[in-house]
Formats: sequence, structure tokens, C-alpha cells
Amino acid sequence: MMMAPEQHQPPSLEHGRYVYCVVDASGRDLAASTPTLDVTGLEDEPVRLMPIESDARNESRESSEPTPAAVVHDCTDVYDTDDMRQIKRWVVNHQRVIDAAGDQFGTPLPFQFHTILRGTDDAVRHWLREQQQLLIDALESIAGRWEYRIDVIEREPPSRETLLARDPELAALQSQAAEASEGRAFLLEKQVEQGCKRLRKSRHTAVRDELQSTLADHADAVHELERRPGVDLGGVFETDEMSDGDSICRFSVLADDDAASTIGTALDEVAAKPGLEVRFTGPWPPFSFAPTFDEEGPA
Amino acid sequence: MTRIDVGDGENTRQGLLTLVITVVELLLEAMQREAVRRMESPDLSPEEVDRLGRQLAAIEAEIEQLKTDEGIEEGVDDLRMELDGLVEDAIARLDVDAESLEHPGQAVIGGDDDGS
Repeated sequence: MMMAPEQHQPPSLEHGRYVYCVVDASGRDLAASTPTLDVTGLEDEPVRLMPIESDARNESRESSEPTPAAVVHDCTDVYDTDDMRQIKRWVVNHQRVIDAAGDQFGTPLPFQFHTILRGTDDAVRHWLREQQQLLIDALESIAGRWEYRIDVIEREPPSRETLLARDPELAALQSQAAEASEGRAFLLEKQVEQGCKRLRKSRHTAVRDELQSTLADHADAVHELERRPGVDLGGVFETDEMSDGDSICRFSVLADDDAASTIGTALDEVAAKPGLEVRFTGPWPPFSFAPTFDEEGPA
Repeated sequence: MTRIDVGDGENTRQGLLTLVITVVELLLEAMQREAVRRMESPDLSPEEVDRLGRQLAAIEAEIEQLKTDEGIEEGVDDLRMELDGLVEDAIARLDVDAESLEHPGQAVIGGDDDGS
């Protein structure tokens, strides 16, 4: 969501609220001052729901608007360690709380692992009030929608024979090579190879462009991702190695159930093309579609 | 960040050789592309084209032999794939909002010190 400046020392903290996500708590009985969630957080911390104050909520607001509520636990220290397994456990725990919040309140606005609001409950209330419009807009834009990830991998590129059969010009070069002098034949052979490479590449581009336009037609939002999954500290997406194959494109999309099923059908067609494999995963909390918050916090 | 690891101790020689051969291969391919382009031009006689082709074929054969002798065929392939990806991603990145590529980090929102 946002980044602290590069620093080696983790920030010190006396009182903080670890924020997992923000949910829409409208229509819920928020009379209890601190409703709890049926899940424990990092290090088994009890997780609470902190709705925006009713004063702020009612102030010239439409009743149909979402009621932002932060899912938090109290913390007095940052979560920092060199132990990767520990970090992994925390990240999984972080994810579990977001999933539980999603089950209970609908699509959550997920926060990155290790987002901490400095201060006590007042700081959270202040922040909710300050970011009210942004939170409401974001919750409205993701309501009833989830993130899906799409990877298209080429397991087997079209063979040289296939390409030559499709391209008369390349086939002609190939025939010329058979009759040319040794040196010229070598260069013609290289020319055919270069041609095949170009055709394979243009097939990648065609698959990607077609898929992108299909996704744009059906999804509410589409992001194209780097073709090589990086280190994903969020840790929620499957990023296992593509042991054998070439990544053609990767997308993440925001879609409701109907759109997801339409996209699934469209992806079946892509997967039916020779040598291609499609991975379609989700629904995930919409990490890629959450807004960026200003680092300027409560004064 | 992509780092090219040439290994250490006894592996250093092989690692370094892999790197050198990879670079030479890329250079050779550039030369081959240029030769193919010139083949079409009237500047070169058929004899010259033949000689050029034979020379490039000989260099390629020499490199292949060297890779086999040193057992670095796989290493060179892997490194080339990484370099390809690196270049393509670098080009792709030009179109992508840099912000969306930032990795997650620590985030503490608000205040210079504790208290509110």
C-alpha cells in the first residue's frame, strides 16, 4: 500500500495498531464498542473491528454508502526478523485474517503485510475519518468483486515445420538453401531461423493482445504483471517456478462472479491453442486493486 | 536485482567461461544477422558471401565444440534465457507505472514518535 523510506533500523513503537484490511461494516450491529472477529492474528493476537465513528459516518452521508471499518490488533512492537520461516508464518497469518474478514463482510480492502498505524485507537479513528472518502470509494469499487490471476505459458513453441508450412517466404528460403553453396546455405539457414524466431514472437504478441482485449471487455479492471513473478512478500499468490516453458503474459483482473466465469470460458479457448497452458487462480482479496494511501498520517 | 554468479573456488573457471562464451555467442549472432542482411545487398559477390558464411559457420562450430568439451551447454542456455528475460522486462517496464513495481515493505503510518 505504501512504503516507509529505506532504513535499516525498524521504526520504534510504543503503541500501534496493526491493520489487516478495511471492510464494509454497513448494516451490521456495531453497538458493541469493539466487535471481535472469529480469528486470531499474528502471534495469536485478538483481532478487533474498528468501525468509523458514527458521527463521521452520518455526516451528510448516503445511507447506502459503505461503512469503513478497520480490522486491527494492538501491537507495541514492529514485526521484524531475519528468520524467513517466521516471516512466512506471519504473512500466512496476515492472509488468514483477511480471508476471515472477507468471509464475514464481503470483499475486504486488503493491506500489505506489516502495515501499522502509530498510536492508539484514536489514531485509527482519526485515520479512518481522514481517509473516509478514499476508503468509501475503494470499498464501492471492489464490492462483490475479487482479484483473479492469469498466467499464459507456452509449454511447446510451434515447430519449425509448422511455421514453414504457414509461411511460403520462409519455405522458399529453405529450398534455396538446399541448392546454394556451403557458405551461402549457412546464412540462408540462419535467415530461416531468424524468421521462425520472429513468427514465434509475433504469436506471443497476438495471444497477449487478444487476451488483454478480452479481459478489458469483461473485467472491471486489468493489470498486466511482470512476466517473471518476483518475490511476493504478500505471499498469497501461487508463484511456483515454471519449470518448463516460456511465460507469454500475466494479468491480474478485478471481476465479479459472472465476469470471472465468462473470463474462464475465454481462457479455455486460449488453453486450447497448441502448446499453450493457462493458469487461472482466484478469487483473491484485491491486493492489486487497493489504493495507495498517503504516508502523511495524523499529526 | 539480477546477479550473475560465476561461482567460487573450482567453479570459478567454469562460471567465467560460461559468461565469456555467452557473450561471444551473442556477438556471433549479431554478426550473423548483419551477414544475412548483407547477403541481400549487391556489395558482396557470391564468392564473398560464401566465404563469409563459411567463416561464421566455422566460428559457430568452434564455440559449440568448446561448450561440449567444457560441459557448459546448459549453463550458457540458462544465462542466455536470463539475459533475454532481463532485457525484455526492462523494455516492458518502460510502459509500467514504476509505483506498481515497488515491493512491499514496512509501513508505519503517522506521527514521528508514539503518541496521539
